Amino acid sequence: MNLTALRDERGTLFAFAAAIALIIAGGIYRPSFVQPENLATLLLLASFIGIAAAGQTFVVLIGGIDLSVPWVLNAMAILLTTMSLGQNARAWWAVPLALGAGLGAGALNGLGIVLFDIPPVVMTLAMNGIMEGLVLGFTGGFTCAACNSYAPPAVVWVFTAKAIPGVANGQLVWGAIAVVVGVVLSMTLLGRRIYALGNNALATYLSGIDTRAVTVIVYALSGFFAAIAGFGLAAFGQQATLGMGDPFLFDSIAAVVIGGASILGGKGNYWGSVAGAIFLIVLRSVLQEYNIGEAGRSIASGVVILVALLLYGRQRTEF
Amino acid sequence: MNRSPAATRLRYFAAQNVPLLLSLGLFVAMVVLYIILFALKQSRLPGAFELLTTVNNTLSVGLAAIGQTFVVLTGGIDLSVGGIVDVTNSVAARFMQDSPVSIVFVSIGALVVGAIAGLVNGALVVYGRLQPIIVTLATLAIWEGIALLVLPQQGGSIPPVLTAVLAGTLPFPTWLPNSLIIAGLLVIGWQALRNTRFMTAVYAIGNDERAARANGISVARAKIGAYALAGTCAGAAGLYFAAANTSGDATSGTPFTLTSIAAVVLGGVSLFGGRGSAVGSLAGAFILTLLLNVLFFAGVNTQLQEFFQGLFLILAVVGSTLVRRSLQRAR
Amino acid sequence: MPCCTARRVRARSPSVSPDVTAAIEGIALSKSFGGVKALRSASFAADGGEVHALVGENGAGKSTLIKLLSGLYPPDAGEIRIDGAPVAFARPQDALANGIGTVFQELTLLPYMTVAENVMLGSEPRSGPFIERRKLLDAAHRLFDQAGISGIEPLELVGNLPLAQQQIVEIVKAVSRRPRIIFMDEPTSALAEHSVVWLFGLIKRLRADGVCIVFTSHRWNEIKGIADRITVLRNGEWVATSPATELSENDAVERMTGQRLDVLFPKPVPLGSAAAPMLVVDGLTATGLPAVSFEARVGEVLGIGGLAGQGQRELFSTLFGVTARTGGSVRVDGRETRITSPHDAIKAGLALIPEDRKTEGLLLPLSVRQNLALAVLKRVSRGGFVQRTAEDKLISSMVTSLAIKTPSPSQRVGALSGGNQQKVLIGRWLLTDARVLLLYDITRGVDVGTKRDIYLLIRRLSEEGRTILFYSTDTEEIAHLCHRVLIMREGRIVSELRDPLTPEAIVAAAIRVPVAF
Repeated sequence: MNLTALRDERGTLFAFAAAIALIIAGGIYRPSFVQPENLATLLLLASFIGIAAAGQTFVVLIGGIDLSVPWVLNAMAILLTTMSLGQNARAWWAVPLALGAGLGAGALNGLGIVLFDIPPVVMTLAMNGIMEGLVLGFTGGFTCAACNSYAPPAVVWVFTAKAIPGVANGQLVWGAIAVVVGVVLSMTLLGRRIYALGNNALATYLSGIDTRAVTVIVYALSGFFAAIAGFGLAAFGQQATLGMGDPFLFDSIAAVVIGGASILGGKGNYWGSVAGAIFLIVLRSVLQEYNIGEAGRSIASGVVILVALLLYGRQRTEF
Repeated sequence: MNRSPAATRLRYFAAQNVPLLLSLGLFVAMVVLYIILFALKQSRLPGAFELLTTVNNTLSVGLAAIGQTFVVLTGGIDLSVGGIVDVTNSVAARFMQDSPVSIVFVSIGALVVGAIAGLVNGALVVYGRLQPIIVTLATLAIWEGIALLVLPQQGGSIPPVLTAVLAGTLPFPTWLPNSLIIAGLLVIGWQALRNTRFMTAVYAIGNDERAARANGISVARAKIGAYALAGTCAGAAGLYFAAANTSGDATSGTPFTLTSIAAVVLGGVSLFGGRGSAVGSLAGAFILTLLLNVLFFAGVNTQLQEFFQGLFLILAVVGSTLVRRSLQRAR
Repeated sequence: MPCCTARRVRARSPSVSPDVTAAIEGIALSKSFGGVKALRSASFAADGGEVHALVGENGAGKSTLIKLLSGLYPPDAGEIRIDGAPVAFARPQDALANGIGTVFQELTLLPYMTVAENVMLGSEPRSGPFIERRKLLDAAHRLFDQAGISGIEPLELVGNLPLAQQQIVEIVKAVSRRPRIIFMDEPTSALAEHSVVWLFGLIKRLRADGVCIVFTSHRWNEIKGIADRITVLRNGEWVATSPATELSENDAVERMTGQRLDVLFPKPVPLGSAAAPMLVVDGLTATGLPAVSFEARVGEVLGIGGLAGQGQRELFSTLFGVTARTGGSVRVDGRETRITSPHDAIKAGLALIPEDRKTEGLLLPLSVRQNLALAVLKRVSRGGFVQRTAEDKLISSMVTSLAIKTPSPSQRVGALSGGNQQKVLIGRWLLTDARVLLLYDITRGVDVGTKRDIYLLIRRLSEEGRTILFYSTDTEEIAHLCHRVLIMREGRIVSELRDPLTPEAIVAAAIRVPVAF
């Protein structure tokens, strides 16, 4: 691995290093912080951000952004619970339905962006509102009979059971996603096209690549991963709730940026987002250990992004 | 010697401001639609009360949208608007006492806080050479946190006299909302500001930053100024919001970020920078409020509001794109 | 005969006479952009009341020198003096305040603002802090009157003007600030003949007023027509300065290129008379292209000439599917094509190598490998996965074939020299095995050595039977490399030139018919 590649991975390395440093800091305050159980819990909490950030990573890599993550996540979680009614018998079609709907919502984002030149900020913002409205409308403000349904046991098992002792399945799911996403980005045709598009959309188009198709696929993936994150949250919380997706807008973008990806696209990878997600959760957890309230944690999250940007996110002056 | 008669100037203005004109047209259409639906539902025309509530509900978003305009014109975006609204809202609600001195002092303080927040944004973007979208996402979290520190619980209070001044009506004529006057002053202020070297610089930067720099424009100063103005306007929005609601809430400003962007887009301002007018953004804010009113009086399920707002935004942008493309083909 | 060193005109230090302080002087200026050395310790001086021409090939450093002297960028090394006193420009404002005006090659106009606003930028009439719009409009009218220009509407958005008028607006803007020193970088590239006459009248008036005028041009007859002195740059270095009367074109070209003309340009491969048509364009129409028809044969290098902005770009982009075709037909190798995107064009056997490699061609932060393989990814993939061994084979053979100087295929393209970057871009397209190559000004910003490589490559491709459409702003190139040249004006082909091709004939054909303004 030559030195330039190493320099590009600065973000990932910093984030992991900082996370480890924070864990040590937490351990100093309360030794039980570094117990495997606690660390496993942290990893699990990070996995939800990480899964949502997988989709956001794809989108940011092509120079876009997905502001619809909160309510696509929420909508698909509610779709899963209300369609499956907590039954495995219905789950076999409810799960693909919700995954497909997440994919579809994302694809609609992409189509709006490529067909009508709608800026990603506007399109995904509008989609977020549309999803929220659809959820509220169809569930009567979440007062419907089916709204109290649980996630189907199969899904609950996929995320919460411990096939390996000490490790929740959800972490394995996250691990599998990380491997798949990593492979896609570094070894496939689609991955090459994504990096090319993010680096220079015009040059990529002129080289004969269908940049529109790549864009739609990438946004569809974002919706897909948002749906999976929604499943995970519903599995752990047993039920779906209103507003469960709200924290994930900031968190998914923050994880991607702290991990060293450029918000303009073309630079970064998923391991960085993984590091970013872990870092965010560890930071918040350590701050909680030190009795810092929500206000302080919010400020810290913002400051951390700025520090990360100033360290490795600055634009070289283009000539 | 009149080399460019008014007719020519008008023709060029119209051709060069199609998005703004479309936006104003949409505004008028929404007003008409609202009046019609209201009349059908209530068997009377909307009156002074409806005017008052509509304009009052719009002005906070309008102020935020005007602020957002400055940043968007430079080719950036300000996601921290909601956070700045939170902070100034909290500051006003917590610190304002009944005395006139306190009212004036704290009001100015709220604007100053907004300006400082904007300056920080601008400095990070210009001197840090960081991208606006992610810088302002970070500062959003910071301002939201600070707002919670200032006002951990909903509460505080705004002296009734300020509420009456900002959200009430004139003693004569009693149907004229003060907020409408404020809106009018904002439009006049914008038109005046539009003709300053500062705004020329802002537009130039949004057109082509490299070319602006080569022409001797101080890009750093103008950009930071734009962000500072955005912060000040967001501060004014927070102050107004507190006054209109008579108390404060450190989290109520969060939706302002996205609604200010929606208003700017509906106002015909290009997110790529260099084109647009804050008058359009103000019209966009009104369009958003009127849309809610229209949906209500059309009997649409209130829970579907967000859905229709989102759909409306998309349709407006698509419509504007299609109009632009057909005009290009005609050229 | 070995090149110029033996026969060099004794280089005088760049100053008219020792006791006249130069109006502007650059001493040992150096500048690098991202690892590419654009200027190496180059010195230059020009006096008030003088018209000083700066000549050199594309990539010689002329534009960079002008940008440094205009305060656009600070030099990495060296000093700038005005009237003998050292100055340091931190920003363009500093140069403007020192009485320097510039007409940049990449126009510094703001497309969504009006002509009046552009021309009056920085000197708007104000009352207090407020700009007076009516007075601004009147002032703009007056400026154009004084400059002797009619027919440009000050209320029009600059972005809506054709390139020739934009260039005039940029000139009027620079001149209206009453500079003492004015730089003009390729001010005539898009101007029709009568506009060139206008500009030279303007320049003569400025000279009579004691203004120092420095301009660059690729057209020798223009330079000879108006310059007092000529400075030659090559590869970022100062080569010579002499009075215009003492420098012949041959001398100049030799200094610019370091080689004799016939050595630099390989002779075009003779075309067999039976060479079949490869590219047949019939009545092609699109935005900016009223109707174009022509044929290009197997192995032919067909030049596309004409002033800048006359439809050449539109022709290339329509052929390649970037701009939508509204009528006409394009046949490649006898087959009718339906090209609506670059993807279709590549499948039909076309390749477009664009002019601006940084914005239209290369992915600078990515590796040589990723850039080279970009257009043939499908070919080296199976089942959606990129096959590294297949890719490596293709890449290394192309790196060798084009002699691309890079430490490894994983090297970031942004770190390569301009010439090698251009080779990577060319290599990408050669890998597609295209039958018809559209080359759009591909020697811009490229050093002499690489240019020679490119000329030899064109000859080799022609020998292999590929068809080449060649557009260049350097008329020497077109004259020496092409079999035939088509002159374009306003989106149409207005004349065809055959052997013998000379730069003068090409320029003459380009500006011959005056446009009614």
